[in-house]
Amino acid sequence: MTETDPVAGTRPVAELAEASTGPSTGSGAGDSTPPAPTGTQSMPFSRALNTGLRAALANSDRVLLMGEDIGRLGGVFRVTEGLQAEFGDRRVLDTPLAESGIVGTAIGLAMVGFRPVIEIQFDGFVFPAFDQITTQLAKLTNRHEGALSLPIVIRIPYGGHIGAVEHHQESPEAYFTHTPGLRVVSPSTPNDAYWMIQDAIDSNDPVIFLEPKARYWQKGEVDLDARALPLHASRIVRRGTDVTLVGHGAMVTTLLQAAAIAESEGTSCEVVDLRSLSPVDYGPILDSVRRTGRMVYAQEAPGFTSLGSEVAATVMEKAFYALEAPVLRVSGFDTPFPPAKLEGVYLPDADRVLEAVDRALAY
Amino acid sequence: MTTQTFVLPDVGEGLTEAEIVSWRVGPGDRVAVNDVIVEIETAKSLVELPSPFDGVVGELLVDEGTTVAVGAPIITIVAEDEATDATAPSAAPVTVGQTEHGAPAEPLAGEGSVLVGYGTGGHVQSRRRAVRQAHRERVAASVGVIAKPPIRKLARDLGVDLADVVPTGPAGDVTRDDVLKHAEQASVFRNIQTPDWGTVREETIPVERGAGAASATPVIAPAAPTPPADEDREETIEVKGVRKATSSAMVRSAYTAPHVSVWTDVDATRTMELVKRLKASPDFADVKVSPLLIMARAVIWAVRRTPMVNAAWVDTDHGAEIRVRRYVNLGIAAATPRGLLVPNIKDAQDLSMRDLARALEKLTLTAREGKTQPADQQGGTITITNIGVFGMDAGTPIINPGESGIVALGTIRQKPWVVDGEVRPRYVTTVSGSFDHRVIDGDGMSRFIADVASILEEPALLLD
Amino acid sequence: MTSDHGFQPEEPVRVLAADGSFSPTPAAERYLPLVEALTDAELEGFYRDMVVIRAFDRQATNLQRQGQLALWPPSYGQEAAQVGSARATRPQDHVFPSYREHVVTRIRGVDPMDIIRLMRGLTHGGWDPFDPRNGNTHIYTLVLGAQTLHATGVGMGLVFDGRMGTGDPERDEAVIVYYGDGASSEGDVHEAMVFAASYQTPQVFFLQNNQWAISVPVTTQSRTPLHRRGAGYGMPSIAVDGNDVIASYAVTKVALDEARAGGGPRAIEALTYRMGAHTTSDDPTKYRASDEEQSWAKRDPIARLRAYLESRGASEAFFADVEAEASAVADDTRVRTNALDGIPATKMFDHVYSEPHPLIDEQRRWLAEYEASFEEGAT
Repeated sequence: MTETDPVAGTRPVAELAEASTGPSTGSGAGDSTPPAPTGTQSMPFSRALNTGLRAALANSDRVLLMGEDIGRLGGVFRVTEGLQAEFGDRRVLDTPLAESGIVGTAIGLAMVGFRPVIEIQFDGFVFPAFDQITTQLAKLTNRHEGALSLPIVIRIPYGGHIGAVEHHQESPEAYFTHTPGLRVVSPSTPNDAYWMIQDAIDSNDPVIFLEPKARYWQKGEVDLDARALPLHASRIVRRGTDVTLVGHGAMVTTLLQAAAIAESEGTSCEVVDLRSLSPVDYGPILDSVRRTGRMVYAQEAPGFTSLGSEVAATVMEKAFYALEAPVLRVSGFDTPFPPAKLEGVYLPDADRVLEAVDRALAY
Repeated sequence: MTTQTFVLPDVGEGLTEAEIVSWRVGPGDRVAVNDVIVEIETAKSLVELPSPFDGVVGELLVDEGTTVAVGAPIITIVAEDEATDATAPSAAPVTVGQTEHGAPAEPLAGEGSVLVGYGTGGHVQSRRRAVRQAHRERVAASVGVIAKPPIRKLARDLGVDLADVVPTGPAGDVTRDDVLKHAEQASVFRNIQTPDWGTVREETIPVERGAGAASATPVIAPAAPTPPADEDREETIEVKGVRKATSSAMVRSAYTAPHVSVWTDVDATRTMELVKRLKASPDFADVKVSPLLIMARAVIWAVRRTPMVNAAWVDTDHGAEIRVRRYVNLGIAAATPRGLLVPNIKDAQDLSMRDLARALEKLTLTAREGKTQPADQQGGTITITNIGVFGMDAGTPIINPGESGIVALGTIRQKPWVVDGEVRPRYVTTVSGSFDHRVIDGDGMSRFIADVASILEEPALLLD
Repeated sequence: MTSDHGFQPEEPVRVLAADGSFSPTPAAERYLPLVEALTDAELEGFYRDMVVIRAFDRQATNLQRQGQLALWPPSYGQEAAQVGSARATRPQDHVFPSYREHVVTRIRGVDPMDIIRLMRGLTHGGWDPFDPRNGNTHIYTLVLGAQTLHATGVGMGLVFDGRMGTGDPERDEAVIVYYGDGASSEGDVHEAMVFAASYQTPQVFFLQNNQWAISVPVTTQSRTPLHRRGAGYGMPSIAVDGNDVIASYAVTKVALDEARAGGGPRAIEALTYRMGAHTTSDDPTKYRASDEEQSWAKRDPIARLRAYLESRGASEAFFADVEAEASAVADDTRVRTNALDGIPATKMFDHVYSEPHPLIDEQRRWLAEYEASFEEGAT
């Protein structure tokens, strides 16, 4: 035999771990953790998440990160970069490749006091875990009549605008907002990313944490000292008088672009960032609609039975007398997310939003 | 020789920028397709980029150590055409990575549409400037008015500003009736504030000389020498337009035709019931039904029985004639923003109840919008004036020139009436009219008015 | 020779050593008659397949780096496992690739440009599996392991319709499904094996263990050699050196023929190595050591076969001809990729359903009107 066995030729995990990442068993926060940063810093969305996750890991040794390629690689979007090196592979786990397995075992870990933070690699790959999320994660607290809490966060990069292949640009929020027992949020800025990930980890309920992947590399100011808003609050991000534009995640930037163009045409748009998809904070939305009388909800997700449909129906019910026009929705078409060459046609852009603004104003 | 530009691609699913770490070629170097030309660093990793072109390096467009956005041009490579003709014009620049989907030819740094491999950019491309002219009729912002959508639409259709309407609905909302009542008010009654005159004694409105043949005696006698106009105490309005036309028509009519007025009260309850039933009927769902409609049918029916009221006294050079018309161009006096107009419905005798209702509605809306045409006002044969909307019972209206009779519909309100020997509240109204005594005598006038009233009392007589 | 986690891998089936010498392992004994029957032409054909696809693969990676493709998952290093197994299939067989089996699809008749179009973002599929020219090759599946269930279902259909087990290997159909070590952790794969065993499908589960699932080593996926799992489901399972194209061919051929004859499903683990990154979005320098890559480079499948062919007297002219063909294919790929057109916007509404659907019709109309409103002269 002149061969070494191909399998043995692969370096064992432990060896490689030592070579490149530090101690192989978790050493916890301890003296190897640098002090938490303070002040206001400009950083990309992904780094804001990284900083928030680091703070959470440092604050409690019950917090675990679990996911595929999150440890040594630091995640395919580098959101967990450096965290396994700092906290060890018993706090930041590279799991086997099985989404259902990740969510299911996280539930078990929560049952003995851990606070797992799961990363699903891409939106289109959450579906193997759908059973564990909907029949178990969402219902176990209720099934145990309060004897069990499941403080689990499932982070999912979602949405389009990155020109990727199939299953990498989905907007599956409606499946989760439709499931009682789950909380669903989506930050749109680095500052919100930093604070909302920590608040989601602190929540004693399961939180689906949707990260707009088109924003991962966008920079923004992060105030590391002061939390601006609670986890489940919506926010008016631009003031206006004629039409209220509402959206979540990556769409908020598109709405601001549309508002800027509208302003140059003499129309003043107010923009609301939903931030929390379930529960929805209707206060600022209704306040806005009562002042403007018109509303457009924009989302990447297909429109039929979508989150936007729910928000529109509720606003129509609660602000009926204030409305000059029906609440309009701008959504992805009700087709599978198309091949990347067509994503520019499929996804609502500023023009599609403005077309709805025109229609709202024509009433 | 073609200059080919290579722009920075998105090498990793959504990257927005990269740093040029090191150039592997320099200007003047020959490169072949797939030769590594530069190493870049992205948020994810270090990547070597292979050349998409054959040729000679023209220019390195970005310095090492600089970060540029996806889509930014980074290097030009000049293709060497075989058999180069020194006099051949240079071809148009070729940019690798142009989108096939209608984006600009040169994606600008940081902008540009999302091409596969060209990442997200910060593009805010808008095609709105291209052609879109949206219809943006903006209703006056009636913020703070509570009104249901159908009421808002009604208000808009009738040209009513919701902010002016007094709401009487249970939620403090403007109701349909509120809007309709408001719309039926004459414009002069929109100003319900009584102006304070202070110590003003009189107001003089000059009348243009020569207005009408019958105006040898001016209608309004000027007062004895008036003190000079005091701006606080007097307002001067120039007579022109509709006011001028109306006044001359009034004078012409009043001082040519000897006017006699007759009137009668009538129990119009059955008309009110009929109106209610018609309103609820699907056949009349899309059209306005009111007592005026019944009145219009009544007038047409009564005209057949007393045709002289539908005649015209005509002075010719061979003597006077009375032309009795066998058609009814039914005039409706309308108070409009421009003033009093009398458009007529041509051949009203041929119209079904529904078509007549339509015609009335259209006439009213057109008049209100100020769009009544001169042709609409010509050729009338008899006129109805609805003074009931002003709350009046009866009047002595002035006949429209060219006609011999004008009928007034008074307000319909509940009054005590004797029915089957008992006093009961009934919907009572007055039908009055003025007639040209040259054309028609007292018995004819009376019969006509009585006929109209009898229809209002029993609309079933129309089945005759 | 044991890894840190204490399992004892058995010696896989191997015929060619890394240096190209003919050195069958004991496990290879039963395959030797088949191996020795291979002609020079067939062996040279394997070589040509591998060299051409490696050139195509490298060109495709370059095209991604040049902004012409959204993504490229390279098959670099896995050519032998794929060529050997694909050449072992019979024309009537059904093939379920995952998303890295570029040479498998090519050998079965799929135009490699169809894969290019998929990776460029023009389509989600790229070819019609039911068009005879595509050799019953199904489209790529990007959701890991999902295709194993589909393959089992096809196998079940073959059983129910008696399209296997007649004893005539020219007619009996079989299914081969490709997946990787990472995918083997997905529940779908477990269920596919359960059903396959239960219904005794004429099926080969072909697992290319390329040692890495993006950044996660195979030892995280399993504490036992992966081919042992097949045994757990009651199916004969075998490990083969996936960098030995002859062994890969022989093992797969026997497995497929036994399965099509009614022997039930089989599992093959082809031990190989992902020489490149997971895809062009990945950076292996972040998680694996370069000396590991170098050690596997010494076991390169193409070099190995070349050495063997040389020892059998293959000519320089042959090798030069193969190089020339590989260059030509790569160049042709580049030119054709750069010339690809876009697709009309309405395409996204096509084939959402098999039957008409009012929502689709309405939105197709809406989009057409909306786009037309931007044309010159529209109001």
